[in-house]
Amino acid sequence: MHAPSRRPLPFAALALALAVVAGACSSAAPTEAPSAAPATEAPATAAPATTAPTEAPTPSPVPAFPVTLTDDEGTAVTIPAEPQRIVSLTPAATETLFALGVGDRVVGKAQDIMLFPPEAESVPDFEAFDGSAIVVDTEKIVAAKTDLVIAGGNYLTPPEAITKIRSLGIPVVVVYASTVDKVFTDIELIGQATGATEAATAMTTYMRDQFKAIADAVAGQPKPRVYYEIDATGGYWTASDKSFLAEMIQLAGGEPITTGSPDKYDIAAERLIAADPEVILLADAAWGVKAEDVAKRAGWKVLTAVKNNAILAIDDTTISRPGPRIIGGLAILAAAIHADATIPAVSPVPAVP
Amino acid sequence: MAAALHGPGPGLATASRTRDRRLWLVTGGLVVLVIGLVLGIALGTVAIPYGDTVAIIIDGIFGTKLSTADPALATIVWDLRMPRVLVAVTVGAGLSVAGATFQGLLRNPLADPYVLGTASGAALGAAIGVLIPIRVMIAGFGLIQALAFTGALLSVTVVYRLSRVGGLSPLTGLLLTGYAVASLLAAGLTMAMYLSGTALRQIFTYLLGSFEQATWEQVLAAAPLVIGGSLLVMTRSRTLNALLLGEETAAHLGINVPRERAILLALASLITAAAVTVSGLIGFVGLVIPHVTRLLVGPNARGVLPVAMIWGANLLVFADLAARVIGDIPVGVVTAVIGAPFFLALLRRTRTGYEL
Repeated sequence: MHAPSRRPLPFAALALALAVVAGACSSAAPTEAPSAAPATEAPATAAPATTAPTEAPTPSPVPAFPVTLTDDEGTAVTIPAEPQRIVSLTPAATETLFALGVGDRVVGKAQDIMLFPPEAESVPDFEAFDGSAIVVDTEKIVAAKTDLVIAGGNYLTPPEAITKIRSLGIPVVVVYASTVDKVFTDIELIGQATGATEAATAMTTYMRDQFKAIADAVAGQPKPRVYYEIDATGGYWTASDKSFLAEMIQLAGGEPITTGSPDKYDIAAERLIAADPEVILLADAAWGVKAEDVAKRAGWKVLTAVKNNAILAIDDTTISRPGPRIIGGLAILAAAIHADATIPAVSPVPAVP
Repeated sequence: MAAALHGPGPGLATASRTRDRRLWLVTGGLVVLVIGLVLGIALGTVAIPYGDTVAIIIDGIFGTKLSTADPALATIVWDLRMPRVLVAVTVGAGLSVAGATFQGLLRNPLADPYVLGTASGAALGAAIGVLIPIRVMIAGFGLIQALAFTGALLSVTVVYRLSRVGGLSPLTGLLLTGYAVASLLAAGLTMAMYLSGTALRQIFTYLLGSFEQATWEQVLAAAPLVIGGSLLVMTRSRTLNALLLGEETAAHLGINVPRERAILLALASLITAAAVTVSGLIGFVGLVIPHVTRLLVGPNARGVLPVAMIWGANLLVFADLAARVIGDIPVGVVTAVIGAPFFLALLRRTRTGYEL
């Protein structure tokens, strides 16, 4: 009973929201169904007309599609033509698609309580948390004539759902970024899959440069021990060993206090006290945890961070969501850990040429 | 004695009334089942006109080209909704027949299809399948289903073997061995869940039971086992009736008790294993539907088995429908919410003595 049972309150609210949504949108799809015979012919004639002008100015020597990619699970995925109706089953993929400028082709997304960007608001949810499990609405994916699904690996999207969608002939690219470098390669993978290869490469080049600039800015500084509190209900939840979060803290010039295991997400209180954090970052501030409450926790007054009042609220989504906004996340993290250092300003969402 | 075999009842008048009621429940149940099938296929998160739904189904069965609807809608009706509804029918029917068989065989009102360790065996098998990080498909089934099926049958075999040694009476031996083995397997499951990390959610989903991911392969694999197994159990109704009178009496009636018991256990376990493989663990149906049926038609297995089979299928079809319409809540929750109050009301209203 580890990671999935973290924030009981928002999940309950989420389940409620889902019930409302499910009731409201049962009559969504087949508005163009009646005239089926002409409708099936129309795309054949319309497709060249619309794709020709966009393809012409692109001086790409090899045609981008059909393309066969290897996704993060090692599956070879063939995408026959440039996808026009994309479904994103992770919040990070949704952000990436919009940042790459293909947001107008996204027809369905994963439910996201920290939705970004705001333009994604109008895209319907095809995947949601129902209070006990993540449920993918395969019917809606099929009805939307989806030609590409970006799904989450490491069980973020239920593996049975991925198998099911693939069995229906819809290509599924599974992404899972366990390291910062994988975030960059995932953005490039999504770029290749959607025909936005150049935008993706430009974006990751910019992001890599910014990462280096921030790393340079904190290079000469001491490395304080950082406890990053994801949640404190039913235990203390923080970065596991070798996790994405631990890597981000390292890159921001801190020494992460981790759980002591790569797949345990809660840290024993004893281990935490013994590690003596010098900086405490409250990612759970969004759920109402305050610095003064932390200082009052039994036995915590001995901690250096509490004595020096180095307890800060921090925006978790930009730091821990493996999408384009991690450059902003790293800047926030570096500024929080090194109050004196000058962190170079970065654009919160990398610009696309 | 012969009268007792064909329907132990107080008198002729009640016997014929029971038979009328049985007929009503079977025909009525089939009508309700058809309605359930139609609704189950017609309703979903994507609205599809009824005419198109019917045309797509006819096309799917007879290979015709009646449907003029979007091919995407055909995929939804034929590849997503049909298998889901048919798996619900199969699992409901199978678990009810298996439950009725186990209750009669073990003469225990608390026996359900999982009493001999099938559930814990299947759950542990599925959990191991989740934890093994390779994806293989065996005849359209993933590793999870393959190991769940193996686990279910393996645990029943172990329970049956272990129960035959020692000085206990066969029935007590089976029940207690089943309990002990199930506890051991449950410990293994807890350990697997503890070690599973991010895969925990997938194991949890299996434990809750769902028809969400039903496929045609699952229908084609499970339905013959469940229907064939159920029909074979029904041909042994006479034996089940005799066993209700006690094993000694049954033996005096010329029944080879150990052999018949082994056959019936094997059939009921096979049905259960097929059901848990395609749906995960769905509780309640296999325990309560046989009781409800007995309260309505009396203890004669000739009546109990077909009526329980049809109404078990109905309960799951409508529970799955409700679960979907309300917004994907676990189907086990819906079966309990629909079934438990009905069962309690029936228990309170019953005036004749009720015994297994």
